Amino acid sequence: MIIGEQKPFEEIWEMVKGHKQLTVFGCNTCVAVCHQGGNKEAEIMASLLRMRATQEGLEIDIKNGGIERQCEHPFFESAKALLDQSEAVLSLACGIGVQFVAEKYMNTPVYPALNTTFLGDVKQDGFFTEKCQACGDCVLGVTGGVCPVSRCCKRLFNGPCGGSSNGKCEISKDIDCAWQLVVDRLQALGKMDDYEKLVPIKDWSKDRAGGPRSFKLEDF
Amino acid sequence: MAIDAEKIEQPKSPEKVRDVPADWKANIIAFACHYCAFAAADLAGVMRLSYPSNVKVVRLPCTGKLDQIYLLRAFERGVDGVFAAG
Repeated sequence: MIIGEQKPFEEIWEMVKGHKQLTVFGCNTCVAVCHQGGNKEAEIMASLLRMRATQEGLEIDIKNGGIERQCEHPFFESAKALLDQSEAVLSLACGIGVQFVAEKYMNTPVYPALNTTFLGDVKQDGFFTEKCQACGDCVLGVTGGVCPVSRCCKRLFNGPCGGSSNGKCEISKDIDCAWQLVVDRLQALGKMDDYEKLVPIKDWSKDRAGGPRSFKLEDF
Repeated sequence: MAIDAEKIEQPKSPEKVRDVPADWKANIIAFACHYCAFAAADLAGVMRLSYPSNVKVVRLPCTGKLDQIYLLRAFERGVDGVFAAG
């Protein structure tokens, strides 16, 4: 899922304080799981902004709302009335949701409340780790299910570099060496032969190098 | 690290510091668990023990029901302090 992290409150306040009306708009899927941008967090953010406005003596009508996903048209139906009447929107969605709202409401300023940080998993409650970079050409089949693109700091494809020490990366003792994990996993699977296979030069045109990507199902 | 330093927000209030009137009393809301703290407050009532009138008690089925937004709504509506008991 997509991981996001709320921006510092001061940064958010500076973006929105000039408006007379504001809708704080949550997205209740990925960013709700990471407790940063769900409808509940939108309600909390709206409350904090209202109190800040009161402290500064500004009259801003701050409402809050939210939908299940800000990246799909059908979910917006329930919030149509709210968004139609909004002078500005503070979206707590990831960058995708913010842009989606901005495209839908051409004349409404939309501000991001989150920094979209990475694609990751929920390792434990409140702890998220990066697992994928959407490179567009998955190699997990030959690397024992461990991604060298997102988990090796150097994105190496044919074994570890010299910075691998006791299973950790030289970048930080908190980062596992991805290639140590690959080898551990291939050993457990009895597939160490795969380790000997040379991975050819990766086609990065399927990554961001080819510009913004899209995917269209022809039968839709 | 520089990135971490950026995230630290200095606590600052745009409100001016004002003198506290002599007769001012903090407006306190108490969120009390039905099974322990609220029962204790009830028992205190039975025993004719009094508590200050500036404390308002709200009964919750459990203090686990307490949510951040309850506290924020209370502060928005002019409460000065929140007391959670359970």
